[in-house]
Amino acid sequence: MNADLETLQKSYKTELERRGSIFNIGAPAIEAVTIRNQIAVGFGDGTVRFFQSGFEPKTVKAHEGVVLSMANYADDVLTGGDDGRFLKISSDGNIEEIFNFGSKWVDCVASHKDTKVCSSGKTVYIWTKNKDKPQTLEHQSTVAGLAFDNKGKRLAVSRYGGVTVWKLNNNKWTASNFTWKGSHGTVTFSPDTKYIVTAMQENQIHGWRINDKADLAMRGYPSKIKSFTWVGDTPYLVTSGSSDAVCWPFDGKEGPMGRKPIVVANGGKELATFVKALNGEKAVFTGYTDGSVLLAEIDESKKPIMIRSSTGAEVSTIAISSDNSQILIGDMKGSILLSSLWADN
Amino acid sequence: MENTSQVPVTVLTGFLGAGKTTLLNRILTEQHGRKYAVIVNEFGEQGIDNDLVVDADEEVFEMNNGCICCTVRGDLIRILSGLMKRADKLDAIIVETTGLADPAPVAQTFFVDQDVADRTKLDAIVTVADAVHLSSQLVDHHEAEEQIAFADVILLNKIELVEDNDIVKVNDRIRKINPFAKIIKTTRCDAPLDEIVGLNAFSLDRVLDIEPDFLESDHDHEHDDDVTSLSFVSDTPLDMDKFQDWFGNLLRTKGQDILRSKGILNFKGEDERYVFQGVHMLMDASPMGPWPKGKDRSSRVVFIGRDLDNMNLKEGFENCKSA
Repeated sequence: MNADLETLQKSYKTELERRGSIFNIGAPAIEAVTIRNQIAVGFGDGTVRFFQSGFEPKTVKAHEGVVLSMANYADDVLTGGDDGRFLKISSDGNIEEIFNFGSKWVDCVASHKDTKVCSSGKTVYIWTKNKDKPQTLEHQSTVAGLAFDNKGKRLAVSRYGGVTVWKLNNNKWTASNFTWKGSHGTVTFSPDTKYIVTAMQENQIHGWRINDKADLAMRGYPSKIKSFTWVGDTPYLVTSGSSDAVCWPFDGKEGPMGRKPIVVANGGKELATFVKALNGEKAVFTGYTDGSVLLAEIDESKKPIMIRSSTGAEVSTIAISSDNSQILIGDMKGSILLSSLWADN
Repeated sequence: MENTSQVPVTVLTGFLGAGKTTLLNRILTEQHGRKYAVIVNEFGEQGIDNDLVVDADEEVFEMNNGCICCTVRGDLIRILSGLMKRADKLDAIIVETTGLADPAPVAQTFFVDQDVADRTKLDAIVTVADAVHLSSQLVDHHEAEEQIAFADVILLNKIELVEDNDIVKVNDRIRKINPFAKIIKTTRCDAPLDEIVGLNAFSLDRVLDIEPDFLESDHDHEHDDDVTSLSFVSDTPLDMDKFQDWFGNLLRTKGQDILRSKGILNFKGEDERYVFQGVHMLMDASPMGPWPKGKDRSSRVVFIGRDLDNMNLKEGFENCKSA
């Protein structure tokens, strides 16, 4: 197979790099979330920085150590840190401490409308509107991923041995367990909420069809899957972890069961480390171990476009502004590219 | 990934009451001028001197590859990944295991998980042993025996409470289980920290440090359940294909009973020394530069484990000699 990356890398600077801005923060970019026309990025030095086209980034000193997790919450961001703090941060730099867990890490955060959620150790804490005290959900082992479905009625909690899906009925949460041996990390609901999928600590992802708990084991990756994203109307679950962006089809009754994935955006000897859908298009941005990023349609016959050239540090986050006009790419050495996606912007 | 960017990890084991907490307190309170992260299971103390204390669960999981002896610590992978996101570099990470824990899943995490292996390296397994109670603990608890068997460094602690000839006895008992660990005799774990942290004991070249005095094939017969060691030496060069077949098959089929294996190998037709070391069925092996001039090119292998007498190790090793 032709490596798309090697043939494309001969150009020195991509179009997006020419018209964009590059910031060297000096700490690993951990996660990015979009708030209207701003993109908030959490870093390995505990700062959260708000990036916006045409402005200098605004820096908020949020956590002592690492920003471990982020979620957007209306026009603010929620962050969890290895200093045990669960914070709400506004783009003007105002920090509200929702809870302090002391020496315990706040590993995961999530939100839906006015509900704020975080996990610390084996417990998930849920703050609902106008309530000071959180509800707590207990698990057998440390929580490694949180995801709401699109209605906010179900909360998926990944952990060792599978996922607990909590359902909200009359203000009470009831648990349903989805079991698969191994340690499960990041978790996601499919857009139609029929499936849940996790990235495991082994080189595979695992899914369940929710109505009958049928298993979907998606294996064959050469490395751990650190990132996945839903793309297009089919939809495809596009994953990192391989030299290509691996796209699993989730249409029909059986989803990807017994089917082969489509592979696009071949990185040659580089492995994909981060993937992000281009909203409204059947296309995906794929970042690689060397810092380069390709944009590819989910179509094996189409050639990808080079978005960012190699920086020497693995791509750790990609975010796109709500109006689809700006893209932000961050890597593990703290280099940030902020650029307009379209030439006429 | 470059080796220089790998943070060394010390795994600290020790039976209940041996003095592990004393050692942790020293690491966290001494002005050592380095930045350590200490991963513990419920610990009251907070570090001074800028050290980090991270709480962990004892969460062990089997890998899906079907091998019963490959287990890793899922929470350890999670915590190490979090620590590696820090902007400031750590000088070392110390992982405490609870008194009754099997050290293997912790050690295996560094062989099995690629992200962990890229960014950290197992520096040494350090076991704190109670000079007063070790002999009886070895009889009553197989965990104590395993902690001695896995160790690269053993702090034989509380020696002030034991008569000299009893120290010799307990020292010999340790040597029977583990002939290659470095034994440091201490009172209140008072060994210099640089003899405990940042040793590079797991690096393959340390395999060469096996003390020849303890490399004796003959040993007293113990119970089948006891952890013992066996070692073999050969001045005849080994056949690489034969060795790989035998050793690979041995770890696959008997890896559960072989706790540690180490060796230096002289292969026929190869100028370089080959060294390996393993934990259960997982192992690292690599060429280690040419043989020193004027010294014997002899192959040496050491096994620590249970039921070693029933593995035909001597015969298997002899069969690897080149014709």
